[in-house]
Amino acid sequence: MSMMSEFSKGFYKENPVFKLVLGLCPTLAVSNSVQNAIGMGVAATFVLIMSNVIVSLIRKGVPKKIRIPIYIVVIATFVTIVDLVMAGFAPALHKSLGIFVPLIVVNCIILGRAEAFAGKNPVFYSFLDGLGMGLGFTFALTIISIVRELLGNGSLWGVPLMPPSFEPVLLLILPPGAFLTLGLFLGFFNWLDAKRDA
Amino acid sequence: MKEIFKLGGILLLVTALASGALSMVNKITKPKIEEQKRLVVERALIAALPTADPKAIEKVIENDEILYYIGYTTQEKTDIAGYAFVAKKAGYSSVIETMVGVDTTGKIIGIKVMEEKETPGLGTKIEEIKYGESAPWFQLQFINRYAGELAVDKDNGPIRSITGATISSRAVTNSIKEGLEQLEKRLGGFKKQANPTQTEQVS
Repeated sequence: MSMMSEFSKGFYKENPVFKLVLGLCPTLAVSNSVQNAIGMGVAATFVLIMSNVIVSLIRKGVPKKIRIPIYIVVIATFVTIVDLVMAGFAPALHKSLGIFVPLIVVNCIILGRAEAFAGKNPVFYSFLDGLGMGLGFTFALTIISIVRELLGNGSLWGVPLMPPSFEPVLLLILPPGAFLTLGLFLGFFNWLDAKRDA
Repeated sequence: MKEIFKLGGILLLVTALASGALSMVNKITKPKIEEQKRLVVERALIAALPTADPKAIEKVIENDEILYYIGYTTQEKTDIAGYAFVAKKAGYSSVIETMVGVDTTGKIIGIKVMEEKETPGLGTKIEEIKYGESAPWFQLQFINRYAGELAVDKDNGPIRSITGATISSRAVTNSIKEGLEQLEKRLGGFKKQANPTQTEQVS
């Protein structure tokens, strides 16, 4: 088990969104602007790293029968910390992410990594796994949001980039646009893999 | 039986540690969050009372509760530009709080939704700003209206409710109507609406 591969697998080989197809609820909901996507990505990455580290630290003392409730308590604690800190220091982001900040608790990537990785592996590897998966999630959200914000709103990071004659494809920043963009990306990555394996 | 107590004890320990950590974080972030809330109210007041001098808005407090705000046109505080109050009502999944400003006749001159956690994509549209517009279309419908007119289209009123979010639309509309009626009582009535055809010449 190499450290580098534990970290890098989250980007492509086991990318939570494009390969594991996990955590789609926040992916679809907050990828309508690059700011939201990166805000959500950073928040989820923090929770993922912290919950992975704590779960790994206590993995020997946690009885098998109640591991899921304990993991949930650990995750919910860090999500609440993120929620409070964001409300105090980044109120605009907190408002635009809205209900999706507390909903990080039920983001299946986080519980998934606790159960599948951190509960069985040493602390440092769990940290790398959390960091890699979190950045992979952020990366996926960001590229989806770049397409959606640029074509759907004519801007990136809120800065208008398109010429005035550009008519934004409003559909893309609405919910159907999330499904369309994600679907096309999934298809594209599957096509890449199929081509490489052929 | 013994096992249940052991597992329960472990879970209790974990949750106790978690709540301890959270109360520490809460202590640090609380003053910041309150400061942010104060800023939200301040900005909402400016939006609700566009004709008032932002530095000449006073609170009217009774029993530690803010009843309403008075906005003056200048810092000398001679002419009242209007009154503002916070309208609150439970919507679909949260209490919706709206800052409402009226002129001295009771006509709405500005509103701003300050707090809501309605369903994303449906109820949250009470704050939706359409592409190319500068203010939320739902809230603009209230401008220049009086308490008596306020009702959503489903209740035969002029306010177009949001598709799929009648409860949120109705909560905002009715909270403003009720708030206005309460304000009118507290003020002992609004000034008569200026209506040239009915003014009598006092000579």
